[in-house]
Amino acid sequence: MAARLSHLTLPGALVAGIVLVALAAPLLPLADPVKMEVSARLLLPSFTHPLGQDEYGRDVLSRIIWGARASLAVAFLSALLAGVIGTLFGLLGGYLRGLVEILTVRAMEAVVCFPPILLALLVVTLMGPGAVTLVIALTILYAPGYARVAFAATLTTRGLDYVTAQEALGAKPLRVLALTILPNIAPPLLVQFSLTVAAAMVLESGLSFLGLGVVPPAPSWGLMIRGARSTMEQAPWLLLWPCAALTGTILTFNLLCDRLRDVLDPRAGTVGTGWLTRVMARVLPDAAPAAAPALLRAEGLTIEIATANGRIHPVRDVSLSVAPGETLALVGESGSGKTLTGLALLGLLPPSISVADGRIAFTDRAGQSRELTQLSESQMRELRGDEIAMVFQDPSASLNPVHRVGDQVAEGIRAHRDVSRRAAATQAVALLRDVGLPDPQQRSRAYPHELSGGQRQRAMIASAVANGPRLLIADEPTTALDVTIQAQILDLIAGLKQKGEMGVIFITHNLAVVSEIADRVCVMYAGEIVEEGPVGEVFAHPRHPYTAALIASAPDGVDAELAPIPDSVPPPHLLPQGCSFAPRCARVVEQCRSAKPPLAEVSPTRASRCFKWKEVA
Amino acid sequence: MLAYALGRIAVALGLIWAVVTLVFLIIHLVPGDPAELLLSQGGVAPDPAAVAELRDKLGLNEPILTQYIKYVTALVKGDLGSSLLDDHSVAAEIALRLPRTLELILAASLLAVLLGLPLGTLAALRPGSVADRLLAAAAGLGLSVPVFVVGTLAILIFAQKLRLVPAGGFVPFSRDPLQHLILLLMPASTIAIGLGAVVFRMTRSSVLEVLGRDYVRTAHAKGLAPSRIVLHHVVRNALIPVITVLALHMGSLLGGTVLVEFVFNWPGLSGYLVRAVEQRDYPEVVGIVLTISIAFVLINLAVDLIYAVIDPRVRHG
Repeated sequence: MAARLSHLTLPGALVAGIVLVALAAPLLPLADPVKMEVSARLLLPSFTHPLGQDEYGRDVLSRIIWGARASLAVAFLSALLAGVIGTLFGLLGGYLRGLVEILTVRAMEAVVCFPPILLALLVVTLMGPGAVTLVIALTILYAPGYARVAFAATLTTRGLDYVTAQEALGAKPLRVLALTILPNIAPPLLVQFSLTVAAAMVLESGLSFLGLGVVPPAPSWGLMIRGARSTMEQAPWLLLWPCAALTGTILTFNLLCDRLRDVLDPRAGTVGTGWLTRVMARVLPDAAPAAAPALLRAEGLTIEIATANGRIHPVRDVSLSVAPGETLALVGESGSGKTLTGLALLGLLPPSISVADGRIAFTDRAGQSRELTQLSESQMRELRGDEIAMVFQDPSASLNPVHRVGDQVAEGIRAHRDVSRRAAATQAVALLRDVGLPDPQQRSRAYPHELSGGQRQRAMIASAVANGPRLLIADEPTTALDVTIQAQILDLIAGLKQKGEMGVIFITHNLAVVSEIADRVCVMYAGEIVEEGPVGEVFAHPRHPYTAALIASAPDGVDAELAPIPDSVPPPHLLPQGCSFAPRCARVVEQCRSAKPPLAEVSPTRASRCFKWKEVA
Repeated sequence: MLAYALGRIAVALGLIWAVVTLVFLIIHLVPGDPAELLLSQGGVAPDPAAVAELRDKLGLNEPILTQYIKYVTALVKGDLGSSLLDDHSVAAEIALRLPRTLELILAASLLAVLLGLPLGTLAALRPGSVADRLLAAAAGLGLSVPVFVVGTLAILIFAQKLRLVPAGGFVPFSRDPLQHLILLLMPASTIAIGLGAVVFRMTRSSVLEVLGRDYVRTAHAKGLAPSRIVLHHVVRNALIPVITVLALHMGSLLGGTVLVEFVFNWPGLSGYLVRAVEQRDYPEVVGIVLTISIAFVLINLAVDLIYAVIDPRVRHG
């Protein structure tokens, strides 16, 4: 917050400077802004007249500064009036609703339907030009903006518990409005105020330029531009001064608005440093060659997020492997790092998140081992959707709403195979039939919103397996679906697997799903693998207290949500010194708090990250 | 799609009827005699005989329902009455000037989109880069320069100094197409600078948002080429809010071209309205207000239909 506040210094100082100069105009040693000297008309800048003299011989510098006074006075006054009236209307409308809302907020909305300058012109016609008219016109124009902000904020705030509580305690409505709602909506109103000042200056100068605003001979930037226009050929510089003053001032105010909004609506930015680590990985030689012909083998995978407050590692030292035809389940609570691990395997980590360490060896169709962390983006792209495919959690968000389902399946085929549009479309229909979509010919022409949730996930799966991938990564593919649909999708994935040698990494937090679909399981906790082994053995005899607690909390493995373990997963920047699970563990001993347990081999096929694995059973 | 379009058209027709009736009601139900108001210039009480004559001329003595029916029948025939000052047909004057203003707005919007859309997309694809910062600064400047300052400086530079184009004016397309377009270029570009900055900002934030959507990740997971992802999956979804903003501005441009028309001497509708308001020529004002409101409704109808083409979800309500 403090760092962002410093962004306000420059525009804030500039605005303050402009306002100060305008306020100090009578005190400054300036020439009389309205004194004419026809013999000195259109004279070039001189010592006594630093910016020259205008078409009536008046001092331009003096007129610019006095003009700022006129512009700012009109703008600030109308912004203030509009602010008070608009906020009041918005508060009352939002708090009392009903008829009051119609009379205040809705009536003001009608004003917004008119082009601003036309409305101002109507007021000017009724009242004659002049500064007072301008203030009234601008107030009418800008009050609805405040009313809308105040109205929306009041609606949100009045629903909050503490407001209801105050009313229940018998506080008077006006008191509630003044004490709770106003402070809450002060920040957006402040932004609105600076926006209004800038907009009012634009409009004031525009109307003066048309000759309908400030009345001559009083100085005003709009009038000065209007005057200089007529002598543009002899004295073009006269045009530049007021143009520069007006544009510069508005620019400054707009800058202040933007910065104000940034400060009041903070969304911490993160800095991407991924390219450096990727370059380093390519420069440094491999420590050890990858062993064993697994389909995919990840070794010591560590993922890093660069934040404003330093680097954090949500996934640390994860090693896993999948053989052809095998299904590996990656299980853990939310925040355990299982989704990031899945995305990292496909090289799809969001910007500012990167693989900091580790290797991922993938055996492609040609039988060649590829090191995924060292492939370029375009080499990676050739593998994605072709050899490695991914199905995501929420099918309604993962399908593009504006394209037909069949086209979305077909485009994946055409990205990797040299086939005609028509052939790809035919293939897409066949795929949709394979995943059990009823009436695939017709459904391929449908848009995602015309399908049910289960049908959308079927379409996503069809799109994922379109090119016969060797590895399918499924990230919680059934979580967003109804229980009955879940079973159908699991059957579908199991069925697709039987047809070939496709390996599957199944990411889930649902133990029932694991026992149903997986051959082996990796249990993740706080970014680390804590236990690994064949599903049957792990479920029958867990060797890590966390796994044991998970299984105990989900009796019979039915509808197993991982909630009832006390406390929650520590976030990656607040990890305990010793074992990550120690704070929640029932079997914790002193050693667990001081040292990090290694992933110990329990049997040739099993591992556990617990000092006391022998005692867990 | 057809049902959706017909529904939208029906709503638009209903809105037009509401606007027509509202304008009628404002004239007749607001306290005070319009005829008296029209004749009372500068606070001097008007001559009662003149008021009576004007009331007769405007048909204000007839029953209100008869007046309403006459008013609507005349409108359906396209008759907007005639000017109080010179008996000139209001409909004819509007028919002459409306296309010029619409042409100016459309040309400006086209330029603004050509400018803002690709640059906004470019900036969103490289957030924080030098190009992004430069473009954002340029957009900030574009939003800050008042339109009449841009116009006046453009005349100074391109007409006075470089003598590339005339300082302003209008030639009908039928008489000299090339000269017509040359004269259109400066006022349209002047509007397009501010409008283009708006489109740029909207496109940038919209594309940034869409880039983070799940379906863009899906597109990456399919191994699609980046160019296809941007053009096929991102831009089309990002267009929806951009069109909304553009449509909102189109509506306000309809009357907001006053300053540009003034600077470049472009004989469009807004200039006509300013004159009519100044002279309190009530048939002219009513005619122009109706025209602008109906055009506003029609632009929104067009936007609704464009939405349906871009976003299939809209077609089903």
